[in-house]
Amino acid sequence: MASLTLDNVSKIYRPRRRAEVLAVRDLTMHIGDGEIVGLLGSSGCGKTSTLRMIAGFESVTKGEIRIGDKRINDLPPARRGVAMAFEGYALYPPLRISDNIAFGLLRDRRPKAEVARKVAGIAKLLEIDAILDHYPSTLSGGQQQRVSLARALVRDADVHLLDEPMSQLEPQLRAVLRARIKDYLIEHRMTTVFVTHDQTEAIALADRIAVMEGGELQQFASPEDLKERPANLFVASFIGEPPMNLFPAEVGPDHRIHVINDANEAAFSIDLAGAGDAVTQVLHPGRKVHIGIRPHRIRVGPAGANDVAVGNGVDAVVRGTLLSNQWLGDQSHLGIEVGGCFMIAVSDRGVALGTDEPVDVGLPFGALHVFDRDSERALLHGMRPAEA
Amino acid sequence: MAYFEIEGLSKSFGRSAVIESLSLSAAQGETVVVFGPSGCGKTVLLRLIAGVLRADSGDIRIGGESIAHLGPEHRNVGMAFQNFALYPHMTAFENIASPLRARRTDEAEVRRRVHEVAALLRIEHVLGHMPRELSNGQKQRTSLARSLARRPAVLLLDDPLRNVDAKIRYEMRLELPRVLREYRSTVFYVTQDYKEAMALGNRVGVLYDGTFRQVDTPAGIYGRPESIRIARLFGDPPINLFPVRPERNGDGRAAVRIGDSDLSGPPSLDGLVGRDLLLGVRPEDVEVLTEPADGAIPVELDALTPLNVRSVMLLKAGNATEILASCPEDKRPALGRGRRQVWARLDLGRALFFDRATETLVH
Repeated sequence: MASLTLDNVSKIYRPRRRAEVLAVRDLTMHIGDGEIVGLLGSSGCGKTSTLRMIAGFESVTKGEIRIGDKRINDLPPARRGVAMAFEGYALYPPLRISDNIAFGLLRDRRPKAEVARKVAGIAKLLEIDAILDHYPSTLSGGQQQRVSLARALVRDADVHLLDEPMSQLEPQLRAVLRARIKDYLIEHRMTTVFVTHDQTEAIALADRIAVMEGGELQQFASPEDLKERPANLFVASFIGEPPMNLFPAEVGPDHRIHVINDANEAAFSIDLAGAGDAVTQVLHPGRKVHIGIRPHRIRVGPAGANDVAVGNGVDAVVRGTLLSNQWLGDQSHLGIEVGGCFMIAVSDRGVALGTDEPVDVGLPFGALHVFDRDSERALLHGMRPAEA
Repeated sequence: MAYFEIEGLSKSFGRSAVIESLSLSAAQGETVVVFGPSGCGKTVLLRLIAGVLRADSGDIRIGGESIAHLGPEHRNVGMAFQNFALYPHMTAFENIASPLRARRTDEAEVRRRVHEVAALLRIEHVLGHMPRELSNGQKQRTSLARSLARRPAVLLLDDPLRNVDAKIRYEMRLELPRVLREYRSTVFYVTQDYKEAMALGNRVGVLYDGTFRQVDTPAGIYGRPESIRIARLFGDPPINLFPVRPERNGDGRAAVRIGDSDLSGPPSLDGLVGRDLLLGVRPEDVEVLTEPADGAIPVELDALTPLNVRSVMLLKAGNATEILASCPEDKRPALGRGRRQVWARLDLGRALFFDRATETLVH
């Protein structure tokens, strides 16, 4: 257990006779002792290169990686004090599952009784205790992945590295195993870095998430901050399911935000009169922006019925048509068309509204996000300056 | 007589029976989602309806007339696929028009139908674009428009949203029902995602082991799944299942033991005293409290895993009994990072009881 620091780390691949590839650019992160951090992004974003540099399977082109105060750039993987679970599992085919899990512990010369106790404990946690006598080739992908996880988690190491640790888990096991693993990591104060392309997994497990895209760190923050204070348009659109509603818009001379639909026509507008001077300074006439609102912050009610009206937590009301109203067992998803824009709203209960009917859509200023259209940087969250 | 009927349909490949005496009726304009695990025969069923595969036995009828002997081109069945399959050298307009032109529809009618479906799918402004100029979402819409434009009696959609990103998937999921309402086709929609099944189906057919194991409205399947297997397929996090044997407590009411606490059941439990059951409680029917309260059992909160709209909590009651609870993210109590003592109230009025041996719903 220790902290982990990446200091201006870059990775450049220089294949022969081809253009070099900047896989990771000037990445700086400090990960605290016992902290759980997710590296999140789509394929090619640099997350796996970063993990492999920490593990020692890739050289660091520029910058420094430290565990505690110790520079590890030039140490071989086995001497870095890291334990890793690989995406391809990398189980030893001739060894039984129990021996696969125990392998690292035996190599570390731990007493037999302790090894047996730890293997039994982690096997129970990951529900592989019934297959400890089996060989890897007889297991399903999900079981192999759990064995690979067990082998990494059971070891004592300064830093645990997990590459797509839960991508193959059986859907019915996912929720409970995520929770048990999180409990285990916190209980044992394990400093953990995991790579995933699945934001649900990242949000569920991580204390902080590093969102990466194009080799660059977009934002490094808690799941809550990523949702409530996304640093830019990419993070805003990437994090959240259903995704944030985002529309291009322009501030008019009348201090209204005019939202533009897919066909480049005026869709609806929002009066900024009540938003305060700080907002009107940022949103000066002519400014081109994107505005965003998360689906669960939108209020929806029957048109003209005053269920949704300015005041009472709503600052602007626009008229739309309800296209669909879908009950998913524990939440409702609503599809609403407003002036040719399509909006998604989520409610945690059933909503008694008929489709093809007009509806009032309430937008609280406190839930609006505004991004600059050119730089794509956040300007306002909940009508407060994003930098504050 | 239903508009669309399948009766006793069977199909084997060699010795393995993929579809076995499957029957289903559907109304005109109805969307039936075919839901099941991979390899359950969903795609084979669609191909049997399309006529690309011939059934070994059984009948398929549209409007009372058998189509089982007809080739795919004569069945009035349309199909859209996961991978768009647009002609790269044709504009979006021409792609959508292509099945109409193949049927020598007159030009004015072609224009009318293409514009109608394009308006509904909000792609009118890109009708002149080539496929390479379209976003993935627009390609998906164009592909769907093409399958709708000729107004097939039956429309088959084979997991069309599987390969698109989250934004497009949600938009289509929410816009598709309105489009399908306009077209009045009977739709068979295949998916492996239970949320998509619930979102899109007027009814959902749960297909495994060769036939439909339950066909009901989404709320019907979620609320009253006929077996443990179906109960576990619908819901994320999945339903909690506790082995119980109801006993009469002091005041004569039936009670069940969960962890090391006895909980009085609803009156309907009285008839189940002494039976070996699995008690199913959905995570959203478990309320987590930071103070003791009436009917709440003491539990240890082991981990809190936030999801997007809801948070999931792993609770441990006595005898190492694990309970999953979920609540809306903005309504969950403030809880720290590590383990702590909390209380859980299980809503047994909404619980499901399954027979432990047959694994079927008894109440």
